Amino acid sequence: MVGPQYDLVGNPLGAVRATFERTAAAATAESGGSDPVAAFRGKDWGACELFRSFLFEEDGLDKVPVLNASNLGLIKPNTLVRYRGMVQDMLGTEYYIGAFKDGSTWRTNKFTDFSPFSMPHPCDSHLWERHLVHCVPAPGQNSWTLESSPGPDVRRMSSCLATELREKRKRDGDNDDMDVSENGHEESPLLCKKPKEDDVHVPSSSTEVAEGVPEMNGGDHHVPGSSFSCLVKVYDMPDSQVKLNDVIEFIGVYTFDPELATPNDNPDDIMLDLIEDVTVQLPPSKVPRLHCLVWRKLSPHDFISRPPVVEPSPSILKGIRQSLLSHLTLVLGNDELAAQCLLLHLLSRLRNRVDVVTVGRLSLNFTGFNRESASIFGNQLYSLIQKLVPYSQAIPMSIEYLNTATLQPRKDNKSGRLVTGVLQLPQGSHLTFDETLLQTGSLTSKGVENTILLKNLMESQKVDYDFEYYKLDMATDVQLLTLSEGKSNILPSDLVVPFRPSSVPTINADSEELESWRWYLATVRSLPQSTEPETYQMIQDEMVSAMRDDRSLGCSELSRWLTMAQIIASSFGEKSLSLEHWQMVKELERLRKQRLQ
Amino acid sequence: MKNPDFAADKALAKDFLSNFADPRGEPKYLNILQDVANRKIRAVQIELDDLFHYKDVDEEFLQRVTENTRRYIGIFAEAMDELMPEPTEAYTVDEDRDILMTQRVDEGADGGADGTDPLQRMPPEIKRFFEVYIKAFSKVTPLTIRQVKASNIGQLVKISGIVTRCSDVKPLMQVAVYTCEECGFEIYQEVTARVFMPLFECPSQRCKLNKAKGNLILQLRASKFLKFQEVKLQELAEHVPKGHIPRSLTVHLRGELTRKVAPGDVVEMSGIFLPMPYYGFRAMRAGLVADTYLEAMSVTHFKKKYEEYELKGDEQEQIDRLAEDGDIYSKLARSLAPEIFGHEDVKKALLLLLVGAPHRKLGDGMKIRGDLHICLMGDPGVAKSQLLKHIINVAPRGVYTTGRGSSGVGLTAAVQKDPITSEFVLEGGALVLADMGICAIDEFDKMEESDRTAIHEVMEQQTVSIAKAGITTSLNARTAILAAANPAWGRYDMRRTPAENINLPPALLSRFDLLWLILDRADMESDLEMARHVVHVHQNLESPALGFTPLEPSVLRQVQAYISAARRVIPSVPRELEEYIATAYSSIRQEEAKSNAPTSYTTIRTLLSILRISIALARLRFSETVAQSDVDEALRLMQMSKYSLYSDDRQRSGLDAISDIYSILRDEAARTSSMDVRYAHALNLISRKGYSEAQLKECLEEYASLNVWQIHPNTFDIHFIDA
Repeated sequence: MVGPQYDLVGNPLGAVRATFERTAAAATAESGGSDPVAAFRGKDWGACELFRSFLFEEDGLDKVPVLNASNLGLIKPNTLVRYRGMVQDMLGTEYYIGAFKDGSTWRTNKFTDFSPFSMPHPCDSHLWERHLVHCVPAPGQNSWTLESSPGPDVRRMSSCLATELREKRKRDGDNDDMDVSENGHEESPLLCKKPKEDDVHVPSSSTEVAEGVPEMNGGDHHVPGSSFSCLVKVYDMPDSQVKLNDVIEFIGVYTFDPELATPNDNPDDIMLDLIEDVTVQLPPSKVPRLHCLVWRKLSPHDFISRPPVVEPSPSILKGIRQSLLSHLTLVLGNDELAAQCLLLHLLSRLRNRVDVVTVGRLSLNFTGFNRESASIFGNQLYSLIQKLVPYSQAIPMSIEYLNTATLQPRKDNKSGRLVTGVLQLPQGSHLTFDETLLQTGSLTSKGVENTILLKNLMESQKVDYDFEYYKLDMATDVQLLTLSEGKSNILPSDLVVPFRPSSVPTINADSEELESWRWYLATVRSLPQSTEPETYQMIQDEMVSAMRDDRSLGCSELSRWLTMAQIIASSFGEKSLSLEHWQMVKELERLRKQRLQ
Repeated sequence: MKNPDFAADKALAKDFLSNFADPRGEPKYLNILQDVANRKIRAVQIELDDLFHYKDVDEEFLQRVTENTRRYIGIFAEAMDELMPEPTEAYTVDEDRDILMTQRVDEGADGGADGTDPLQRMPPEIKRFFEVYIKAFSKVTPLTIRQVKASNIGQLVKISGIVTRCSDVKPLMQVAVYTCEECGFEIYQEVTARVFMPLFECPSQRCKLNKAKGNLILQLRASKFLKFQEVKLQELAEHVPKGHIPRSLTVHLRGELTRKVAPGDVVEMSGIFLPMPYYGFRAMRAGLVADTYLEAMSVTHFKKKYEEYELKGDEQEQIDRLAEDGDIYSKLARSLAPEIFGHEDVKKALLLLLVGAPHRKLGDGMKIRGDLHICLMGDPGVAKSQLLKHIINVAPRGVYTTGRGSSGVGLTAAVQKDPITSEFVLEGGALVLADMGICAIDEFDKMEESDRTAIHEVMEQQTVSIAKAGITTSLNARTAILAAANPAWGRYDMRRTPAENINLPPALLSRFDLLWLILDRADMESDLEMARHVVHVHQNLESPALGFTPLEPSVLRQVQAYISAARRVIPSVPRELEEYIATAYSSIRQEEAKSNAPTSYTTIRTLLSILRISIALARLRFSETVAQSDVDEALRLMQMSKYSLYSDDRQRSGLDAISDIYSILRDEAARTSSMDVRYAHALNLISRKGYSEAQLKECLEEYASLNVWQIHPNTFDIHFIDA
């Protein structure tokens, strides 16, 4: 095959059908015509391969527009789009007529919601299945991550514009699809005027950012339907590949059918009590449908637009570490110990969980804040974190918040959907709790549940999702930072550091520095670790002698020390832990202990 | 594939129905049909197991039945129509249906002119007084909802799940019957889907000839309706892969299968997985999409009780094999919560809690409970809660709750007002829900005062009495209680007496058969152990290997199977042991009387506890009688549980480590009334007391030089030299 005969961006379905018909014809010729299509159930016949090579080998990715609230309605249906989002809910499987025989040729309906060919009735057909995944923009996604993949400006891409379609269709005299595009066109400006929060941070890039950056108060972007979501239909996926809360880039066919979009107020619709169709609650006019051809999971690295170097060498990493550390020190009012701990905290990553023990997490608790200092340092700190990590949120821990906020995701068995909660977060999120807002008061039962949930998250990095008849543990990997007056008892952190600032921060980093820090954080967090057993043996002996000196040492402290040592090692770009790093941890601990007294 | 010969299959079905004999040689299905004819039952369940065992049925036929089930239900129903015997018993003929039926038969006899008209011929459904179900193989493991795929459409599948929603039971029309205003004929219309298009014009020959366009009137009374209920089934938590959301499936229950499930039930269902056509507007909107549902063929509730536990496959064999193993007691105990290190005696006690003793009902109506109650008391962070949760998972029926249960019902029961009907309804709390099972109560010390009073009753009488809002009743709560509590002041305070630390009233404390104190003691060896553990976990990102191999990968299942088998044994206490137990009891009482600060509460309940524990031990051996060794072990456990409370006294009383180890070994030898103590066993014993192997060696050498005992040069086993 020499080059794609079809415009893969403008008419992906044409390519899908062409490959199908060709393969089906070949299979028919081979098998003698009995049932050539049955073999294609749950399998790709070469269409995805075609797109994959177009996107990743021929640099087609940049030509594909990114679907978001601002251009929904502008994009022509049945074109190729990109969508980045977090898997918020999995709606199960959908069965559709995947292939049918039109006369003597087999046709396929894969990657589309409706057939361009009328289906003879009755006819030979095959029922295939696809998975429905409900995606939302990743909660707490920071604005800088959106810059990394702007995609082409849809308004300049004539081939993708719906308005153009309208004119063409007028000429062709085609009927119904016309209203659609008009519909979509008129509706969309309304739709994208969804409450935007915090537009300040949004850069005025060519792509408008629809999902605002979450504010310190948490915002309402967790209420289902209030933000731009997308129903993705995934094909031929072996189970358990796409997981809940994964952040994924889907590339597929955007479909929109006016007839399906008309609001359903037909009273004749017989009452099928329980066979509620969850898709009804997600009207296509608001929630676009995407038939996924190719998808990939996104890691923090994918958000960094210009990686400074290809190979992370220790010397480069050390340099960046120094600049980041000095910046953190300035932001924290010249408190170097706090800055060191914060750096370790930002680099921590859940490496594994063993039974009930989690390895690698390092939650941090800065004590010594009061309301005023929290507003000065806290905001500075948070806005820096926002610029450093892909997903972050700040949660005000007030009695009122605890009593009213929905933290726990819950399955609504009536509607069949997962109602999201604040703690439904993508892996690698950062949460900042401001406990200085807490005052004495009484918690309601919901408040108690919320605190238990937060405590569980702190201690075992797990969130219980409520499925009414049972609870399911969902493993998370969330970095947790608490700002409080005294040691927080509601949120028991691994590392408690009294905060001693000596100056007021007035500093801003330039974007180049930020870029390199982001790259540094993402790189160091993904560095592999391999340490010689001898080092471990030495550390083990050190631990035992430390325990003999201090009887109050427990498993958690030892575990934390080791975690810190490992992070320190990788923060210098070292793959293996040495005794030197262990000494640094001991020094840090000594300084910290001094402050605690 | 050649077209199946339905006529031949029908003959085969008929042959099967009339000739299949159950193990007792009775014609199973003919008997069922006779009952149907006598109007005793309505549902005829054809089991695939029976088909499989029937000599004339080959693989292909079975496959056809499982892959095209709906068609074969029709075939079996037709075969039954032909085989239906005459009723042998008189039944009441007062139903409308029967009267109508007689009329219809009469009409059919004298009329018959229009017999060729398909709509006027009586469909067989309207005559049938039975429903046919085909039940899937009972041995096949059920699929999870996730595993049901497009390729299963039309097939008989078996799935397990939890019921999340149920609709009301509604009538569903099966055969619509009309009468024509013109010709007076009854017109029948079979309804196979959920909606149908009513007929308006009489299609009979007469009306057509006369061009009368007779008006049809739907006769609701004459039509046949089926009970119909819709249910949502959701995947069980254990079937959901990590990071996924449980899937759900719609199930249609018809006829006799309705009202069998309620939300929250864990069930196993077999049924036909079918696509559902959309109608009207939905069809248009849905486009190419088809919805699917499961037409239920059988509903089985998951066994919640040991008594109903069915052994699967080779489990009986495995149990027999395990029972032959002499060390099964400690092996099973160690298989409980293998991830929790040590605590062997506690685990043994928990195993006995699972096994329990049989309830006794005396002639005069007095009941003696057989359930063991255990209380674990300990410092925070000694894996008490983990132990509790694990036990709940092992028990087929277990409820885990905390002393401050969040729901308004609390632990016992409450009268609540139904929000819809505003009637008072009785709602059972955790203890009532755990009837015939195990109730694990965490944070027992933080229990509400009202529950604490009620728990006295539960623990001895095993009922919950309630007198509120005009409802006076007593609910069964035959449950074994496993409680976990923190010492008073949060941590065990060594300076205070155990009684002060425990902080539970004696009345409650005496009701526990065993009370364990799990303390977080520090010593050199455990420090090293801990450091090693932490380092290992960080180094290899996995738990260190356990010191032993737990039974097998399917440990949990095996333990369950073994316990359920053990629970069927009802051992008795032989006469010759009575004296022995009585002496043991009185000596405990004596000991307590002698002590200057009696901190334990030895009452007559203690005696019952000894009996219960011994019986549970006998059950574990599948023995019909309690042996002396069982009583000894029971006494040892009780003693150990006490030692866990008072071992500090002994240390404080001035014994140095070496002499203490000696006394432990001496006690052990005396307890087992033998002169030998194996080294490994001795090590076990002393490590429980927090001594190290080095100290044991020192002790062995020292006393060997005093000629108190001899040490085997290779194995270090200890042999006491009788003085």
